[in-house]
Amino acid sequence: MIVARKRGAYAGNILRVDLSTGKVEKQELDLAFAHHYIGGRGFGSRFLYNEVTPEITPFDPANRLIFTPGALFGTAVPAASRTTATAKSPTTEMFGDGHSSGRWGAMLKSAGYDMLILQGAAPKSVYLWIDNEKVEIRDAGHLWGKTTMGTDQALRESLGDHEIGTLVIGPAGEKKVRLASIFSDGIMGTFARTGMGAVMGSKNLKAVATRGTKDVGIVDIEAFRKAYQDYLQVISVDPYVPPATKYGTCRFMYHRVKFGIHGAKNWRLGDFDWKPLDPEVFRSDYQIKASACPMCPVRCRREYRIPSGKYAGTVTKLEWETIARSMTCGVNDPEAVIYFSHICNQYGLDVEGVGDTVAFAMECYEKGLLTDKETEGLPLHFGNPEVLIEMTRKIAFREGLGDLLAEGSLRAARAIGKGAEQFAMQVKGSEMSAGDPRGMPVRAVSYATSTRGSDHLRSNPYVEELITPEEGQLFFGSAEAADIFQGLKGKGRLLAWSENFVTIGDLLGLCKFAYYRSATFSYLRKKGVELATRFYNACNGTKLSEEEMLLAGERSFNIEKAFNAREGAGREQDIIPERFFKEGLAGGGPSHGAVVDRGKFDLILDEYYQARGWDEKTGLQKRETLEKLGLKDIADDLAKRGRLG
Amino acid sequence: MPKMSSRASSVRKGRKHRILYISRPDQADRICSGCETCQLMCSLENTGAFNPKKSRIKVVPLSVGITIPITCQQCEDPWCQRACPEKAIVQHKKLNILVVDEKKCTGCAACIGACPFGIMVYDPEKRKALKCDLCGGNPACVQYCPSKVLVLADHQRSAEIRRRRFASILANEDATARHNIAGAEQIKTLPQTMTQLLAPSSQLLAEGRK
Repeated sequence: MIVARKRGAYAGNILRVDLSTGKVEKQELDLAFAHHYIGGRGFGSRFLYNEVTPEITPFDPANRLIFTPGALFGTAVPAASRTTATAKSPTTEMFGDGHSSGRWGAMLKSAGYDMLILQGAAPKSVYLWIDNEKVEIRDAGHLWGKTTMGTDQALRESLGDHEIGTLVIGPAGEKKVRLASIFSDGIMGTFARTGMGAVMGSKNLKAVATRGTKDVGIVDIEAFRKAYQDYLQVISVDPYVPPATKYGTCRFMYHRVKFGIHGAKNWRLGDFDWKPLDPEVFRSDYQIKASACPMCPVRCRREYRIPSGKYAGTVTKLEWETIARSMTCGVNDPEAVIYFSHICNQYGLDVEGVGDTVAFAMECYEKGLLTDKETEGLPLHFGNPEVLIEMTRKIAFREGLGDLLAEGSLRAARAIGKGAEQFAMQVKGSEMSAGDPRGMPVRAVSYATSTRGSDHLRSNPYVEELITPEEGQLFFGSAEAADIFQGLKGKGRLLAWSENFVTIGDLLGLCKFAYYRSATFSYLRKKGVELATRFYNACNGTKLSEEEMLLAGERSFNIEKAFNAREGAGREQDIIPERFFKEGLAGGGPSHGAVVDRGKFDLILDEYYQARGWDEKTGLQKRETLEKLGLKDIADDLAKRGRLG
Repeated sequence: MPKMSSRASSVRKGRKHRILYISRPDQADRICSGCETCQLMCSLENTGAFNPKKSRIKVVPLSVGITIPITCQQCEDPWCQRACPEKAIVQHKKLNILVVDEKKCTGCAACIGACPFGIMVYDPEKRKALKCDLCGGNPACVQYCPSKVLVLADHQRSAEIRRRRFASILANEDATARHNIAGAEQIKTLPQTMTQLLAPSSQLLAEGRK
């Protein structure tokens, strides 16, 4: 009989490193704070709000870069493998964060820290070496300029340990490309969105290498085992899981085809010649095996290898969004898609941001706003894979037109002028992701209300596809919530609930695909709320209720909203690109001709603000809402700045 | 070392050799996914906390998309036991395997240097050697492996599994050869034959590093 060593899954310390002065500070983690904000995104958003005020710009050394492994990362809880990186974003100039799997977060916990806060900027390129208690800032001259995989390998070899965890940036991050990402353990995981790689580059920090040898504790092993079995039971019957295990995230192709919402050729076409990109093609011709992120029994990670042809020998990780964004550029050659993913991974770029930005440039070229002079003779035609790949390289190294596009589509559009802004498909400055929202108004609103710019993982509006009218009535106050195309009532409440709901995953470090997507609403709630709470309680010996866990999600979301409000964002920033309201989806398919109805959009947004307890007119938070969440200090701060609703 | 080997042979006598063996790579869906659940479940079972450094099974991430779990091979005449100056690697009372006697182990790490598979583990906290003891007959790693890559097998069974795997490699190579003769160069044959997965060529490794 194994007895748990009674210590929760928190490591118990916060590590703060000032890269300007080289000062290393360790601080004990207050458990009351921990149980209030849970971990991951909750810790990151709270510290960022406290420490980064509106005067601080994203590339200011005073901007923070905060790494917070999810509260359950480091334990064997299924799919608990997510770490959050939080900073003021160079793309949105508001709240920014990225989430990644990988081993690094667990290593940080094993080294004894729940949180790594980086501030200041090093005078020359450095990397950080955390070896349990020993924390050193070391020269990274030999690493500067290397690709992500190259840096990772060089670190492991020079430190003489292949079992360490690493965070690295590629050449794009070094050059402060606003679309740059941070990569965990080679290309195992990516802190993709909102330009976290550029923030790391602005601090002259090439990498963080970590070795931890300590235990991550657990309080109640029996309760953990029971919850583990229940989780396996749910995924064994959930119809969502088998296609995920079979195809990986490529399986979402079938979902997009079902609704005709590809958004191909810079979000104009609903249908597209997608057949060459069928998930079965990737599986049978290129897949190496069904891989998994740490602890995950779902196994939807995929690495691909191109055996022959022009890109022969390419081995890389690829997710659905790479395929989707290639289609946004009109590309449907699977080998080119894999190669595109490969170079984004190696240069350290966000595939979604780059794909949309190149598509934006392609449309500008088509409309004559960019000419051969600006593109240096590169014919930026839709559907040309070589152009996509060459442009991506230019963005990474800020060459020619790439220097402009490296600023992201919105900034590039402003520089080009001549009405180019209407072709920049972005929300709050962050490029669009996932499927086209036209015809499905709640999805359009979900892109608008996300606190880090366009994001399909900040909420789960897809709940409307799963629920029955009865469930809609019971949970969201209206049977209409179950109607995807016509429904209005209950949609705002559904969106607010789903945002709180998926935030739990980011607090605990659980994967959205393993917990926050499902084929039925009851499985979804069982995994995302009930089991997540039981795992947290088993590991930490707490007695949190499911409502309290949802409240913790709401708290974190409200802090981010408050951060953006303090930066000056209100209702007018909660908007999607004009194109979705005005131009119908073209190209045929089930959603042909659909637009986002502006009236419906506003009605759902109104109901959403009501459900959140925010002011409908201004979109700002009310004092009582914040106080109910235990955020009185934030309410006071916003009141002082006149940013309360 | 005559004395030691005589002790080893007395241990060997009458042992029904069971090894924890990585099996079924001849089935495409039974390949290690690299999730490392086995490592943490091993440390939970044996120490009551999560720590991959204290796991007796190790998943080696060799290259992008290639992860191979390595387990104790429960050798007949093991190097770890021969190397131990304290005779701390002793036979388990009930199971026919060798385990580390924590009281005798001084943490000199001689066994760790001696193990040809690199799977003797050093406990960074207690500063003693750790060896797979099959969790007393029901290994946690086998129970929790989501890809069912691990099975507990004895001599006979493990040989059979190896035979099948070897046959499947030959069959794959055979198929590749036949397709080439037929002139079907376009066929992107078998990117995941076990030849590539188990022994990635230096070229594949170099690609991963790029």
